[in-house]
Amino acid sequence: MNGSSCVWSSRMPSLILLALVSLPVAAAPVIAPNPPEQRFEDLLYAPPTMIHVWDGGPAVPFVYPQRLISRIDRRFEEDRLHPAALSWFARGRLVTGGQTPLLLLGADSYGRDLFSRLLFGGRISLSLAVLSALCAVVIGALLGGIAGYAGGWVDGLISRSSEFLLVLPTMYVVLVLRAVLPLVLAPGTVFVLLTMIFAALGWPIVARGTRAIIAAERHREYVEAARAVGISPVGLLLRHLLPAASGYLASQMTLLIPAFILAEATLSYVGFGFPPNTATWGTMLHDTANVLLVADVPWLLAPAVAIFLTVLGVNLLVQASGRPPVQLEG
Amino acid sequence: MSRFLVQRLFFCAVLIVIVASSALLLTRLAPGDLTTGLGSQATAREVSDARARFGLDRPIMVQWAAWAARAVRLDFGESFRYQQPVAPLVLQAAANSAILAGAALFVATFAGVGLGIFTGSRRGVMPAIVRAVSVAAVSMPPLLTSLALLFLAARTGWFPVGGMSSSDAGQQGQQWNELAAHLPLPVLALALPIAATFERLQSAAISEQIHQPFVTAAAARGVPPARLVLRHAWPVSVKSVAAIYGVAAGSLLSGSFAVEFVTAWPGLGRLMYDALQARDLYLVAGCAAVGGAVVSLGMLLGDVLLALSDPRVREME
Amino acid sequence: MSIRPRIPLAGVLVSLVLVTAGFVYWRSPTPPQAEDRQASLVRGGQLTAGIRSDPKSFNTLVASDESSAIVTSLIQARLVRINRATGELEPWLAEKWEATADGRQYTVHLRPGVTWSDGMPLTSADVLFTLRAARDMSVQSSLADGLIAGGQPIGASAPDPLTVVLSLAAPSGLGLRVLDALPILPRHKLEASLTRGTLRTTWQTTTTPADIVGAGPFLLSSYAPGQRVVLTRNPRYWRKAPDGSALPYLDRVVLEIIPEQNAGMLRLQAGSVDMLQSEVRPEDYVTVRKAEQQGRLKVIELGVGTDADAFWFCLKPEVKKNDARFAFVQRREFRQALSHAIDREEFARTVYFDEAVPIWGPITPGNKAWFTPNVPRYPPDIAKAKALLSGLGLEDRNGNGVVETAAGVEARFTVITQRGISSYERGTTLLKERAARIGVALDIVPLEAGAMVDRLQTSNYDAIYMRPLLSDLDPAGNMDFWLSSGQAHFWNLAQRTPATEWEREIDTLMTEQASTLDPARRHEFFNRIQQIFAENLPVLYFAAPRLFYAHAPRVVHVVPSVLRPPVLWNADSLGVSGPPRSN
Repeated sequence: MNGSSCVWSSRMPSLILLALVSLPVAAAPVIAPNPPEQRFEDLLYAPPTMIHVWDGGPAVPFVYPQRLISRIDRRFEEDRLHPAALSWFARGRLVTGGQTPLLLLGADSYGRDLFSRLLFGGRISLSLAVLSALCAVVIGALLGGIAGYAGGWVDGLISRSSEFLLVLPTMYVVLVLRAVLPLVLAPGTVFVLLTMIFAALGWPIVARGTRAIIAAERHREYVEAARAVGISPVGLLLRHLLPAASGYLASQMTLLIPAFILAEATLSYVGFGFPPNTATWGTMLHDTANVLLVADVPWLLAPAVAIFLTVLGVNLLVQASGRPPVQLEG
Repeated sequence: MSRFLVQRLFFCAVLIVIVASSALLLTRLAPGDLTTGLGSQATAREVSDARARFGLDRPIMVQWAAWAARAVRLDFGESFRYQQPVAPLVLQAAANSAILAGAALFVATFAGVGLGIFTGSRRGVMPAIVRAVSVAAVSMPPLLTSLALLFLAARTGWFPVGGMSSSDAGQQGQQWNELAAHLPLPVLALALPIAATFERLQSAAISEQIHQPFVTAAAARGVPPARLVLRHAWPVSVKSVAAIYGVAAGSLLSGSFAVEFVTAWPGLGRLMYDALQARDLYLVAGCAAVGGAVVSLGMLLGDVLLALSDPRVREME
Repeated sequence: MSIRPRIPLAGVLVSLVLVTAGFVYWRSPTPPQAEDRQASLVRGGQLTAGIRSDPKSFNTLVASDESSAIVTSLIQARLVRINRATGELEPWLAEKWEATADGRQYTVHLRPGVTWSDGMPLTSADVLFTLRAARDMSVQSSLADGLIAGGQPIGASAPDPLTVVLSLAAPSGLGLRVLDALPILPRHKLEASLTRGTLRTTWQTTTTPADIVGAGPFLLSSYAPGQRVVLTRNPRYWRKAPDGSALPYLDRVVLEIIPEQNAGMLRLQAGSVDMLQSEVRPEDYVTVRKAEQQGRLKVIELGVGTDADAFWFCLKPEVKKNDARFAFVQRREFRQALSHAIDREEFARTVYFDEAVPIWGPITPGNKAWFTPNVPRYPPDIAKAKALLSGLGLEDRNGNGVVETAAGVEARFTVITQRGISSYERGTTLLKERAARIGVALDIVPLEAGAMVDRLQTSNYDAIYMRPLLSDLDPAGNMDFWLSSGQAHFWNLAQRTPATEWEREIDTLMTEQASTLDPARRHEFFNRIQQIFAENLPVLYFAAPRLFYAHAPRVVHVVPSVLRPPVLWNADSLGVSGPPRSN
């Protein structure tokens, strides 16, 4: 089971997948057909707008507007008398429906475009995950490096505490930490808070691996040489030892990202994450709590698919690098 | 071996104490307290009575000391929300979680190791398909899988949609039937990523072992292929799975929270969530203590398994 | 070197397919059996109903949460009953009664031969005891406020074991309707506690069920906290069916505690509960209709509800006097501006999916007897709303979208609401959006029910959004809401003297209304009260939902009511035909 040959081609599928997810998210203001907060009053729980390219013969892509028949019955019908052509590059957006809202993935309970919310929500969810992973890696690398280099009681202290934190069930700890803080905070505050909590729970695994690498590297000749020359331990750590672990750190960061996406999703799903009206993948999942409703309105599950695709992409990437995707975060 | 065990047990005990105490202290420090659960009819007198009963009027360290003293005697106090002693409540919920986790672990081990042997020792279409499904399944976290399965259940009506039992406890004879109907969905959701991980690890390990000289030698001796895989290659390869068994058990606890929440399974995670919402101090601490105990048990189990499967570990300690 | 162990793959696959097929067959829903309905003799069986929270207490004098009220209605009986469907007063434990012409004295004749569940006879001594207990200082019962006429507690005396004479200091328009809220308690079980002063803590949820004695159709059998309350048939129940047969028909009633709306809906749809405590949510309407088509549920239209979601600011001067915002919040123009900012038709469309009617006051068209449409209305008018705010000195001077006073005090408020209620979520979202258009910033904070009620009781909030339940259709039964001194006068609880002129006016009119016997005059007074209320807007109302209720088809003799509980109010006459659906 090796991936060392043809690295690029085996990494291709995962990179494509990740690009498919992250590029639209990054370009959300342009790609999203509608503002994420705009409510279409007559389109509550509306199904996705079908894009037609055939009208007797091949035609410019167009949609039929959805007309509301009954709000309580959630019944809509396509207004076949007024086809609306898609308008491109209008109002700063890649594509819109022109006269009628273009709901690529349908609408939620407030009539908001699910696709646009998915894109804008992805910005928050993904940036939270990436930022937390970065922080976790930085903290873990520093602490692990110090432990690996210094040895002795410092090593013992850091190792014991990271071992302890590793054993704890992450979800429970996150739950408790979040629950004891005031539940309703501004989205910005929640973002910072979650970053801190996730980083605090993510650093031990990074530290453990880094420590092992640094401890092994410490005995290498170039380190002896550098010490003989008089380079300070800090400089030694930062400029020589840690870069040796850079491959490991990169892969750790990649592994932490899906874990944090999931953690945010779980927290927001149970109501302890972002405030309900902020669009993030987790809060959008919160709408799926009413299972019987979702059975009838399946497009509400779109954020679950988005999360799955992202996690899959990362795991494929990691696997292509040769490591089995052991992503069992405790 | 015994020294190893004693060391591990000590670590477990420390873990439980720290986890439970921090939970208690954190909940105490949190804004709001359990008396909000008394509701509008409570008089000021009742509120202060409740506060006194739960030690909320004493300084935090005093309360912790009192709780710790009782906890040593296995008296974990009373739950405010349920008006009952904490221990039976938590143990019941833990038992429910254990049923779920145990079934999931069993399924995951059986399916994961079994399929891993299968895909690692053969080439062809079937193993490739299983491998691909495995990679996808590793990326299916319990939260998403349980949502998807619940959606399927609601759509088709094949499974009961959530809960642990449908009717009240009056019909005793129905209990196994009920459990059998309600168990598959959460177990599947929980077991899937773990089974896939086991499969990947086992597969990699066994395909590595199959190419080892000792296996070739055995084949040359005329050992039939099935026995070759199962009796010669596999025992050596199982240690890579055993190595993460402890972590897997721990992740079961984490994953089970999401599953319990989505499928309304009355387990430890759900109880802890409700307790946190209600700021029910002693219940939170009790849940944390049991959670810590479960996690350390899993860790211990993993360590023991590893020691058993790899003599080198035993020698090292 | 590749090895091919001869694992019989085909065999494994075949067995897998067989197992799956078998499972699918086992689990596929069985079509509902045709019910053989026998007209009136459906005897026995168990009814399972979902309630949203644990009962706080089995002591009816103390606990008035909905769950406790449901349990009480099942195990206790009152002197008279208000028929929840017709609104008429029915004889209950009291067989008949006479009133003097001036309405100051009622002679109530108890039904002979009624016994408590433990066999002791129910006499007028029990009625006197209950009245005494309700008024007792050590009990601090919330029922006491209702048993007052003309400012004085209702007096009672018992000339003989089957007669009670009630004396009122002033005539009461409500008459004996107040007694619907008062379950009669057994003197022989509770008098000792009353004398000792411990009645308030008697009959808590930890009491042994066998100790709880009542004259209701059911007996408390067991209570598992967080799980369920089980009640069994009271063989000594005094009431008989019209054809003379014994009531209740049901053998058991199980109240399952299901706190979450989604979980309740799932269990209702699956058939593991027969009914829920609350109405069908608008977003579940399609699901429920589908289930009805499949024969799994029966859906009834209850009509326009009598309670609606409400929004109000805390207007208690003692609490808010140091709050700079209070200067403009207490002005009615501010609240009128907000009322103009809301489009009530949009509200009905978005929050209730068109199944609601706009309202401008606490009385909805569902309360046919007392509703008046002639109240000031506030059509959606952003310009007018902004003008009203300007008149108060509130303008957006710094361009941040929020209006503030000349001194820079922003019109920004925290609105607390109960979490987990989908109509509250939609309502507050809409409210926030609309208020933002006129420059009022509202931050929505969902709280646990207990926490929210706590903040309400201590007046520790800026604003609240919730649906308060009025206990009686007759406004005189809600004195604690209308009177400024009342415990349920939410925006300014329990005032010693009315804080505003219009509250003083309502106090006067309400007292008049309650003590007049002439229905026409009572209506006149109350219409005026509704007008004053809508002019001054202490509380904003938006839309009253049309209620739908769903229950299992096996429940028969259902007499639906728009009041709560919609079906269980008539529990002693309910029956079930056939076993619960097993799925």
